[in-house]
Amino acid sequence: MSAIFQIHNLAKLNWSTDANALNKYLFSQISAEIAEPTRIALIGASGQGKSTLLRIMALLDTPDEGDLLVNGKSFQHIPARQWRMTVTYVAQQAVMLPGSIEDNLRMVSKLHGQPYDVSLATELLEQLGLDYLDLGKVAEDCSGGEKQRISLIRSLLLRPEILLLDEITASLDINSTQKVEALLLNWHKQQGTTFIWVTHDLEQARRISNRTWMMDKGGLQEYSSDAFFNEPVANLAKRFVGSTEGSLH
Amino acid sequence: MTLTALSFTLLFVMGTMMVSIWQKLGLEKDIAIGTVRSAVQLLVVGYVLQFIFNADHILYIILIILFMIAVASWNAAKRGKGLPGLFWRIALAISASELLMMGILLGLHIIQATPQYIIPISGMTIGSAMIVSGLFINHIKQEVQSNKGEIETLLSLGATAQQAMQKVRASSVKFSMIPTIDGMKTVGLVQLPGMMTGMIIAGADPIIAVRYQILIVFSFTASAAITSMLLSVLIYRLFFTAGLQLKHPQ
Ligand SMILES: Nc1ncnc2c1ncn2[C@@H]1O[C@H](COP(=O)(O)OP(=O)(O)OP(=O)(O)O)[C@@H](O)[C@H]1O
Ligand SMILES: [Mg+2]
Repeated sequence: MSAIFQIHNLAKLNWSTDANALNKYLFSQISAEIAEPTRIALIGASGQGKSTLLRIMALLDTPDEGDLLVNGKSFQHIPARQWRMTVTYVAQQAVMLPGSIEDNLRMVSKLHGQPYDVSLATELLEQLGLDYLDLGKVAEDCSGGEKQRISLIRSLLLRPEILLLDEITASLDINSTQKVEALLLNWHKQQGTTFIWVTHDLEQARRISNRTWMMDKGGLQEYSSDAFFNEPVANLAKRFVGSTEGSLH
Repeated sequence: MTLTALSFTLLFVMGTMMVSIWQKLGLEKDIAIGTVRSAVQLLVVGYVLQFIFNADHILYIILIILFMIAVASWNAAKRGKGLPGLFWRIALAISASELLMMGILLGLHIIQATPQYIIPISGMTIGSAMIVSGLFINHIKQEVQSNKGEIETLLSLGATAQQAMQKVRASSVKFSMIPTIDGMKTVGLVQLPGMMTGMIIAGADPIIAVRYQILIVFSFTASAAITSMLLSVLIYRLFFTAGLQLKHPQ
């Protein structure tokens, strides 16, 4: 059995054409392997390229070097559509598609000609505290936090093997954040879905993950979350802040 | 109209240039170039048409129509820098609509198969298809830019390029046809169209002139619709890489 997901020496060139740019790469030599269904927290200072890494993993951007493999097959040999149905990106800025909330929720079944799972959609809405919403409402008129949760449900209905979650609780209150965390932990347990969750909230990272990926100085380090978060807090904070300073060229 | 009389119209141009200099509009150079170009172009076209009408050979007709299509496509393709292969796609769309129009007009004996009919009507159809193409390209580029988030969201959910571009394509087709449709609604009320005006000045019966004008208006609309729908099929894929990523604008 091959690993669920593998990253081999992935690199993304820096846009900056400035010859004096300190780094040729935004990040480089990134390798990681997900052998079994895992909950991963992806942390790192702003601008390290967390979103870019997730976008590349969902093939919304191309890697400049290296390879990505799902179940042992390289992205170069799998049609992008099929890949994205397996590895699905939930964006940092939730974008609502034209039409009602229901149109948004039905989009996946419409795109792929599959039946729409009404009961699952209803259940997910309820679990995320959105059952008060009128599904006929224009999705664009929803609040930022509502949009973020709708966009999460929209992607869950695709039932991908790997979910790439980009700061999906950034505009949620504590209560809704807890609901999202509980839902995803449960979803992981029930469906065996792997997720990679970008967050700036270290407490959240500790709660939701069993592995931690940290992006720092153009590279990526993997830790067991237990070990990572059980270090003395001062030490941890220093490392985290240190990485912020390191990125401010 | 004598050439001397015609030269007097240059006074208008000179007046405009003086205003431009006086008001510091900085348009004198463009006006001068535009004047010389349009005069030379039209004079050359006059001689070419005279030659073709006299020769009355199908080859010449085809050649001049190909030339028109090439110029029109080149002109419209200028609006789409960064989209490789655009010229050929526009040329294909315009040629298809021209072929269909001529097929219908000649096939149903609506017009006579002589260069006097074929060339001017082709010119007008191709010209209108060019404007539609330019508008279409301009609009679809903008739409892709402003709907980037939506397109990528659809891609993330496993959409094909066609599914992701559906809305943008439809709105660009619609947009590119607005001037043609508005023109159709107000034709004759707001301005007398060029061809009709020309025929009336040349002494034709207004009723006959109007009939031809109706023909032209319908042809324009049909060719606009065909051109822009064909374009929407031919070019939406250009906005994506081979790996189905939305390209970054250059
Ligand atoms: N080839 C590239 N692709 C993407 N971003 C690049 C590239 N080259 C340089 N950059 C820059 O690198 C940064 C990457 O941003 P990204 O959104 O991936 O960071 P992030 O870690 O998600 O930050 P945040 O925590 O603020 O969301 C941006 O400032 C971007 O302009
Ligand atoms: Mg980010």
